[in-house]
Amino acid sequence: MSVPLSPLYTPPPEVVARSQMTAFTRFCEQATGRRFDDYAALHAFSIEELRTFWALYLEWSQLGVGGSRDPVCVGDDIEKARFFPATELSYVDSLLDPRWGDKRPALTACSEERAPVRLSRAELRAQVLAVAGGLRALGVGPGDRVVAVAANRAESVLACLASAALGATWSSAAPDLGTGPLTDRFRPLEPALLFAHSSYIYQGAARSIADRLVELSAALPSLRALVALDAEPPPAPGRIRVTIADLLAHAPITPPRFPFNHPLFILFSSGTTGAPKCIVHGAGGTLVEHTKEHRLHGDLGPDDKLLFQTSCGWMMWNWQLSALASGTEIVLYDGSVSYPEPDTLLRVVERERVTVLGTSPAYLQYCRDAGIVPREHFDLSRLRALQSTGSILRDDLFVWVRDQVGPIPVQSISGGTDIIGCFLLGNPNLPVWPGELQCKSLGLDVRALRDPSLPGPAGELVCARPFPSCPLGLYDDAEGQRFHEAYFAQNPGFWTHGDFLELCASGGARIHGRSDGVLNIRGIRIGPAEIYRALAAGVPEVAEAMAIEQTAPAEPGGSRLVLLVLLRPGPPLDRALTLRIKKELAQRCSLAHVPAVVAEVHDLPTTHSGKRSERAARDLLNGRRLANRAALRNPESLDALAQHPALSPLPEPG
Amino acid sequence: MSAALRQLIIDWLDDNYHFGEAARLITSDDQSFLKGGILDSLGFVQLILHLEKTFRIKINRKELSPKNFDSLAKIITYVTSHPQYRGPA
Repeated sequence: MSVPLSPLYTPPPEVVARSQMTAFTRFCEQATGRRFDDYAALHAFSIEELRTFWALYLEWSQLGVGGSRDPVCVGDDIEKARFFPATELSYVDSLLDPRWGDKRPALTACSEERAPVRLSRAELRAQVLAVAGGLRALGVGPGDRVVAVAANRAESVLACLASAALGATWSSAAPDLGTGPLTDRFRPLEPALLFAHSSYIYQGAARSIADRLVELSAALPSLRALVALDAEPPPAPGRIRVTIADLLAHAPITPPRFPFNHPLFILFSSGTTGAPKCIVHGAGGTLVEHTKEHRLHGDLGPDDKLLFQTSCGWMMWNWQLSALASGTEIVLYDGSVSYPEPDTLLRVVERERVTVLGTSPAYLQYCRDAGIVPREHFDLSRLRALQSTGSILRDDLFVWVRDQVGPIPVQSISGGTDIIGCFLLGNPNLPVWPGELQCKSLGLDVRALRDPSLPGPAGELVCARPFPSCPLGLYDDAEGQRFHEAYFAQNPGFWTHGDFLELCASGGARIHGRSDGVLNIRGIRIGPAEIYRALAAGVPEVAEAMAIEQTAPAEPGGSRLVLLVLLRPGPPLDRALTLRIKKELAQRCSLAHVPAVVAEVHDLPTTHSGKRSERAARDLLNGRRLANRAALRNPESLDALAQHPALSPLPEPG
Repeated sequence: MSAALRQLIIDWLDDNYHFGEAARLITSDDQSFLKGGILDSLGFVQLILHLEKTFRIKINRKELSPKNFDSLAKIITYVTSHPQYRGPA
């Protein structure tokens, strides 16, 4: 790969001078009596003296915390360490802190079809605490799980923050998810209460999910109450049914503080086998990591308006919410980004004077392919940074943003649900090189563990030291065995994330895709296990299947989903069965689960111990040299794949 | 030729969005794709890329509007009157 001679963007000296990263660096220098001449020096300090770093960050950030700030971190084992065990805080109080000004805007909720809903910080606070009063009257308390099937709207924010204010643990999904995946996620949590929109608007049409909600609530016997986020809750015999408007009529509560490691969010990560993992994140870890990312790496403050293109089913929704703690206004968008106009999202960015836009490579690629030229069609003079995550942002899209959006930094950021934050981030003080994430996250000892037997510059992305947003564990995994297997067993002493990482000479980094079988299609993370379960339930002709992500630069997000199917004895795969497979996956899971290619095979690569080898198929389909062909008992299955007409031409092995 | 082109578009809609239901959902060749929920703008761009590849034509992005692409009839007219159109590649 050729190395560009100059960066795409270099921050002007005045931006560096007034950035919060610079202010924090000076603060650390004064506190320690040391010099941190560049970001590498500050980052080295943040990991080598992680206790000093996090104590200084907590002090500098002025997040309202109680109890004792000592000890900072108990234990050095990344799997078992706990941060700030004697500290107490209210996540909600920190987000709604009056110090940023009660009259300032807190939230603007935009959508396809209705006028924006706008709330000041005082209004948002009053409404959140009133809804919390209503939830308390329904018996919701600390430790209860509250789940939601919710659109990205103002009332979803109220529901989430009201639940968190009481110490309940929040978990949400987007309304386009099928009943199967919804049940897989929520049933293990034994939730006390379900918030739900009974319909959502997409592309101008209301789509009812009332039937799915009836099925879901029947599958959740622990539910005591259903709260409609819109007009009316679905029928649910024996349960309390109210609307969020009913809850708003209650007297506000005073939000209590909870321990730093009190469970705040449960997020889901669907893997290659079994049900989705229910990942429990603590309030304090989430808050300090998010505010650190927002204030230091994103330079977000009270003059900013952040719009992140997300749904309630993705961690970026939780991440965006926390920006309230930096005094930033959050701008929500619900609906299709390209309806009623192809450039609807950019119209919202212009109208709302958004300063930081978060989006995805798939959306940027769409704009490019559609011939949308933002700098010609819109006044984006307020937009000062563009962030991108979800999948790999390739070099050409960095250049497209500079040429067609404007001379602003493109901050490609990467992390995940598993840590509710990022390992690699932007930095207002550093240049942007095409294709590179600007820097490692402060306080996270990110490394690329290379396997010397494999070619190329990338290694397994690991974290080598404790960090506050490490999950508290998995739900219903009291001994921590599944948690250990998921993140720590592969490389003892390290958190292993499942991405391939290259660290660049600039100090930045590149992600080279997943190192495990998890799929990332158009920026949406999909566990193959969900696909296999849906096929088992809905397509009896399929005996077995293997879902593989294949690099495809022309596709939105840069890859496509390939489904290899082994059929039971009977007719071969034809168009009708292909379409039925796709339809079942769309209905039982989501459109993102639908493969671009369905290919019938007569054998799947299998190891000598009888285990299917997704990795061998993945390497072949992506032009990677096979790690160990001799480990397969049927290597000829790969030859058949290589010759398969539906899959050709395959990329040349690198 | 327009019958083949019509079927090609229906097949593409089935493969990517409607999975065997496209012919049922499209009640007439003049039905609006946008208003009928057949396709959104993101989908239109994918369809345009598919048509460009299949027919080796270059579609001017300034012409990428509902006026030219919002129904089967409009797409067929646009593609078959495109100066580079010679039938499927």
